[in-house]
Formats: sequence, structure tokens, C-alpha cells
Amino acid sequence: MKTRKLDWKDDLLAASLALLAMVLLLSTVGNLGYARDEGFYFAAADTYGRWFDLLFTNPKNAFDQKTIDSIWRTNSEHPGLIKSLFALSNLILQKKLHLFGMDGTSYRFPAIALSGAAVALVYRFAAEVRGRLAGFVAALALFFMPRYFYHAHLACFDVPVITMFLLTVYSYWKSMDRGGKVWPVVTGLCFGLALDTKHNSWFLPILFLAHSVVVVLRAKRTGREAKVLVERALTTLSCMAFFGPLVMYSLWPWIWHDTLPRLRAYANFHVHHEYYNMEFFGQNYWKPPMPRLYAPIMTLATVPLVTIGLAFVGFGQRAWAEIRALGAKSKAHGDDSGVYWLWLFAIGISYGAWVFPSTPIFGGTKHWMTAYPFFALFAGIGFSYILTLLRVEARRLKQSAAQKWARSPIAVAALVFIALAAPIAETWHAHPWGLSSYTPLVGGAKGAATLGLNRSFWGYTTGSVVDYLNREVPRNGAVYIHDTAWQAWDMLLKDGRLRKDIRAAGAVHDAQFALYHHEQHMLGQEYQAWVAYGTIAPDHIAGLDGVPVIWIYRKK
Amino acid sequence: MMPSSPNSQRIARILGLGFVVLGLGELALHIYQAKRSPQPEDWAVLKEPVSQEKRDGDVVVVAPLWTDPWARQALGNDIFPLRDVGRSDMSRYAGALEIGALGQTSPELRGFREVSSKRVGPFTLRRLENPNFSPTVVDFVDLIATGQADVTTWEPTAKCQFTKNARAVAGGLGGHPTFPAARFECPGGVFFNISETVIADQDFRPRRCIWAHPPNKGEVRIRFSDVTLGQVIRGHGGMYWIIERGKLGVPVVLNVRVNGQEIGRYEHKDGDGWSEFEMQLGDNANKKNATVEFGVSSQNNLHRHFCFEAHSR
Repeated sequence: MKTRKLDWKDDLLAASLALLAMVLLLSTVGNLGYARDEGFYFAAADTYGRWFDLLFTNPKNAFDQKTIDSIWRTNSEHPGLIKSLFALSNLILQKKLHLFGMDGTSYRFPAIALSGAAVALVYRFAAEVRGRLAGFVAALALFFMPRYFYHAHLACFDVPVITMFLLTVYSYWKSMDRGGKVWPVVTGLCFGLALDTKHNSWFLPILFLAHSVVVVLRAKRTGREAKVLVERALTTLSCMAFFGPLVMYSLWPWIWHDTLPRLRAYANFHVHHEYYNMEFFGQNYWKPPMPRLYAPIMTLATVPLVTIGLAFVGFGQRAWAEIRALGAKSKAHGDDSGVYWLWLFAIGISYGAWVFPSTPIFGGTKHWMTAYPFFALFAGIGFSYILTLLRVEARRLKQSAAQKWARSPIAVAALVFIALAAPIAETWHAHPWGLSSYTPLVGGAKGAATLGLNRSFWGYTTGSVVDYLNREVPRNGAVYIHDTAWQAWDMLLKDGRLRKDIRAAGAVHDAQFALYHHEQHMLGQEYQAWVAYGTIAPDHIAGLDGVPVIWIYRKK
Repeated sequence: MMPSSPNSQRIARILGLGFVVLGLGELALHIYQAKRSPQPEDWAVLKEPVSQEKRDGDVVVVAPLWTDPWARQALGNDIFPLRDVGRSDMSRYAGALEIGALGQTSPELRGFREVSSKRVGPFTLRRLENPNFSPTVVDFVDLIATGQADVTTWEPTAKCQFTKNARAVAGGLGGHPTFPAARFECPGGVFFNISETVIADQDFRPRRCIWAHPPNKGEVRIRFSDVTLGQVIRGHGGMYWIIERGKLGVPVVLNVRVNGQEIGRYEHKDGDGWSEFEMQLGDNANKKNATVEFGVSSQNNLHRHFCFEAHSR
């Protein structure tokens, strides 16, 4: 395929988009409470931080198996790369350089930086394939997905794995498109980083294998050179097989000893993951069969409609072009590396697991979020296509002034505004209630609550009631923290967001105030407060658009 | 693809227009939905009209259900007593006052007759009558809450003491319901208390009930004296959802005796959910000064977090 060669302007624009994303995330991080899983990763990062300290001061001791095992055993159900970055960021950027106003931000920073990298990468990918404007719209369409924006703040793996997944897909595409030796090696290295980030990466070899078969068959059907594609695919997959495990092994000390049993334990944890509860249309799901429509419906309910619409246009246009090219058996097809097939397959494989009713749904939309950059890429293509059509139409306008205006930068800016205004408005408005946000398709937050869609999970909304707690809790008073992880609560104290004298309690009877993070299956927690405190009236309620998400009881 | 044919022109116009409508339409809808009432500050407007409209014997119901915390915060315990909030059925209420928002009505009030309806701010306040009203003569949960009972365990025989000042104990995340400060304390530990509590049933609805964990051996007996009876003893039994849904426990038996005579037996199996029982009083119907005894037992009391409500009509 004739791709655009990117120049310094593209580099600058990609860097600016990444920077913009990071600045927006950093400027909004302060009022976002800590998610349950972040609490566990803070603890893991602190433990790993001890190892890095040792590595810098007493390397011999750091490589001792006993030391490694005692430290890296913590949270060994997830690979070590991203938590290592959390640890190093805290050690270097915070403890040494004091860069952040809050300790918690230092743990979050690596994921924020990787979120920015994903935005830049989406720009580059779309800009290479379809031009600068497509890249610009695609990059911002990804960033202004409310759920992506929420997860992009967190010291978790969900957005980092999106970046690693995308980076590997991009490198693979370059290998298939350009050939040579560098890109296959880069793909292998990126795959290793992805493997050491999260288990979504296990799907990458399947994705690339399926894609290579399709592009080779496609080349054969249209009478084009297939041999070179086979060679490129084999080279790339071989590099992945070699470098992927090597990188993962090198960067995760936990598997330096007893490698196979530990890898098996890691895999088993995820293959046989326990089922948690999740509400969907008013029903609580906690064991198979899970609703098969969960993933597509939740995607439609949470990704801005205009982004999905543009993605469908982009996909439809490319599908039509592909069908025509295959029908014509045209050698001039151009897209030998099948970039659109690759994007489509990346979406498919990200959703693949949720076709099966045995796959748990407790993580909401985050589990298939690796598909979202590819939606955004198709949206960029869709936008570019519509713009092209409208420009051609504009040429037919009779009045030259109208024709001129229609082709002016203002008209382009207006179309960009139409593409991005709703996503930006929804995303900005949803913060810091990201997991409560829903698109107008289901009636927004209120409509989703009426339909019985999950309002929140992970207990992160404690961050939204700190002002109330700081104001109302008496000196040395105690608060039942409900779904807030203890480490997440501690981080609020460390940050100075909560008064240091406010104590956390594990049950309502040990506290004067009780938090309640609403989830359907958690309602019993609210009833515990009713009986213990002798009141059914919350003292404070907070949420999005008048939909209660977290509320607080006060002992009478 | 360039739009050279009339067909292509049509596609261009449809896509262009569709894009503009979708983009701006979504933005407009988002703003409308986000600003749509009720907003938090709107709920205060209900205080006076609800107090005026609510009659004795009415239950106040909110629709949609998710707005309930706002209504409870604005109107408080007087409008929403625990007895009503943790209700098991609607037939005990002569009427209902419904606070409706966003055009929603409560499914619980299907079958009720609308008497009046008016707008209060962004809300619709409806008064409804219950054609299936069946008045309650005595509610045994009320009596437990105030200690008007004798509680004993058998094998070995022991009397459970009522106290108003025990330390309330709640199970926390994933744990048992709250055991309130006012409770009968039986031998064997805090789980073996008899008290008024609220459990979340299989649908996570609040159910106000008498906590009655069966003892290791024999039964725990809860005796109410000088009770005025109606025609039947009706009630519900169940367990906290997380205990019940695994279907791992053995049945719990509730024996009901009136003036020393067994009038019925309700057996609760895991998975039954919050289920109803009704026992005819026969010769004991409409008696005054009756003695009613509930005996709770199980072959194996492991995790038998049984809770029941009972009343006579």
C-alpha cells in the first residue's frame, strides 16, 4: 500500500497530542480517587521498589533467589513490567526529584505516559495510512472515549496493555509492509513488553497468524506476489517467538527461577479466574452463562456514538473497496499488507473471549479495550472519507464563494468539531465518574441507571467525597471504607487529600460514618448501615447527573 | 472512491448529513440528558407536599428505584420508616404515595388504583389505593425490636437475655447483616442472637426480618405472649443472598405453634429465595391473649443465616 511518509510535522503533531493527553490526565488526576486494584499495585510497587533499591545499592543481594522470591512473589498473578515502572517512577520521580504534588500521581504517571504514547501512536498509524487529518481525528477519538479517559489515569495495566498491544500491531504491520530486518525484531521486542504487561498479549500471535494467512490467500487470489508476504510473516512470527519470551523473562524477576511452574500458575490464575458480580440490565451475573451481548451492548452504551458511526463508515468504505478489489482481481490493489484486515482482526480478537458465555464480565468494558484504538483508527478513516466526499460535492456548488468556504480550513475545523464535540463533552463531563458514564443511546447516566446497568465498581469514588469527610468527620473519627482498598485509602491520606486523623474501619459498627459504593450486589452493605446507625437517610450523596454513585451514612 | 455517479452523490449527501446529525445530535442529547431533572437540589421541594399527602397506612414508593436514596435523604425516617423500606409485600398497606421522576412508575404498584396525581417540581406525586389491602393485626418483627418476647434455646435449655445496649456488630464487606444493639443474646456467640435486622434477598432487596440462626442442636424458640391474632399467620423466610446462592446448606425449619399447638411448618431450602408462608389459625383465629411460638432448627447449622418476618392478619 502506498502509505504516507511521515515528516517532522507529523512527529511534532504526534508528540503534541501525546503531551496534550498527558497534561489533561495530570491536570485531572487530583480529584480521582484510587481504584481497588490500584491499591494492590501500590503495595506491589512499594515491594518491588525495595528490590530496585537493592539493585542500585547491593546488586549481588538483589539477584539472590531468596531475595527475588520474597519480593517478587507479591502480586505475581500479574507480570512485573508496569508495576516496576510504578515503583521506579515513585523512587526516582517522586522520592528523589519530588516532581508530583501527590504521591499517588507518581505511581500513576507511567500509565499516564503510556496513555499519551497510545494517542500518539494512533495518530501515526492513521496518518501513515490515510493522512494527517485522519490521524488527528483518530487520536482524539480514542482519548475522548470516557471509559478510556478514566482508565488512562490509573496505576493499572488496562491502558498500558492497550499501548503495548497497539505498538506490537503497528510494528507487525510495518514488518509486513516494509519487510527488512529491523521491524520484525522491533515487533518481537514489543511483543515481549506486551507479554510482560498483561495477558491480553497472549492473543497477539493468533491475531498475526490469522492475518498473515488472510493476506497471503488474498494475494494469491488477486495474482499478486505471495511469497514475499509469507517470508515477512514467518520472519516476524519467528522474531516474536524468540524475543517475546526473552524480553518477558528478562524483565520479570519472579520467573527467573522455577520458570515453568510459575508461568503455569500465572496462566492458570487468568484461565480459571474467579467470577465476580456484575449488573447488566438489572440482573446480577456471577457465574456462567454470562450474557453474550454484554460486550457489544456495553460498547455501544459507553463509546461515543459519533465515534462508532465514523468507525462504521470507515470500515464500510474499506470493506467495499476490498470487495471490489478482490472481485476485479486487480494487481493494482496496493494494500498488500492488509492493514484494514489487521485492524478488523485486532477488534475481533479483543472481543473474541466475550463470545463465550463462560468468560467473566466483571471488568466492565476494560477487558476488551484493546479494540478501542482500532475503532478510533477506523473512525479516522471514516472521517477522512466523509471529508473527501464533501469536498468533491463542494466542487459542484454553483457559487464560487460557497465553494471556497466549503473547502476552507474553517469548514474542515467545523467538521472536526462535529466529530469530536460530543466525545469531548461526554468525557469531560463524566470526570471523575468515568465508570458511571453512558452515552445518549441509553439515556446517559440516568438512562443507564433506569435500565439497570452497572454504575461503578472498584470503590474509587471515595476520592469524590473527601471534602465531605474532611469537613464532617470529628477529630480521630472513623469511617467504614466499604469497597475502598486499604492501600487506596492510605494513599488518600498520604496525598493529603484526606485528613490524617481520620481512621478507616472494616465494618460500620467500628465507625461513625459509613461509605456505600453502589453496586447492585453490594446493597447489603447499605442495609448494614441502616441497622447499625438507626437511619435509612444518607447524610451525603454524590454521583453523576443526579444518579447516586456513592453515599454516606452518619451514626445518629 | 470519488463520488462521480448520481449514486455516489447520493451516498455523499446521506453520509455527510448523517455525520452532521449524529455528531451534533449526540452533543445536544448529551447536554439535555445531563441537565434533565431531577437534579440533587430538586428533592427538597417534596418535603411539604409528601408530608401533607401521606396518610396513616400509606407506604411511600419512589420510581425509578435508583432515585430512592435522594428521596430518603430529603424526607427522612418519618416518611420512610425501616418497616416500610424493608417491606416484604404490599398487601399490608391501604394506600401508597408514589414519587415518580423521569416519567417512571413503580412496578410494585401495579394493581393499585390511582386516586389523585399532581406535579411537584419535576416529580409526579400520585396517591393510590390498594384494592387488595389486608390489615395486619400484629407484626412479630415489631415485638422483637422492643424485646417483647421470650427467647430460649433447647438442648441445652437456656434463656436468651434481651439487652438494649449490646455492641452492634456488622459483617462488613461480604459479611453478615448487622446485629443491632437491641437483641436477645443466646449461648454460642454473637451469631446466636435474635434481633430485628435487614438482609439483602436474592434480588438484593431489603427485607426487614427476625435474625434467627438455628442452634447447633435442637431449636431456638421465640415466644410471644398476649398476642391478638387475625385469621392467619403469614410471613417470609430466607437468607442473605451470598449464603443462599451457593445452595450448599441444609434446610432450615420454622415451626409455628399457637397456644402450644403446632399450626404449621415452613421449610426453607437454599435457592428458595425470600419466600412466603401462610398458616391458617383455625380455632385460634381472632383470639386475644394468645401465645405464639416460632421454633427455628436445622440438621446442620453451618452458615444457616436464617431470617424471617411474620405477622398475623
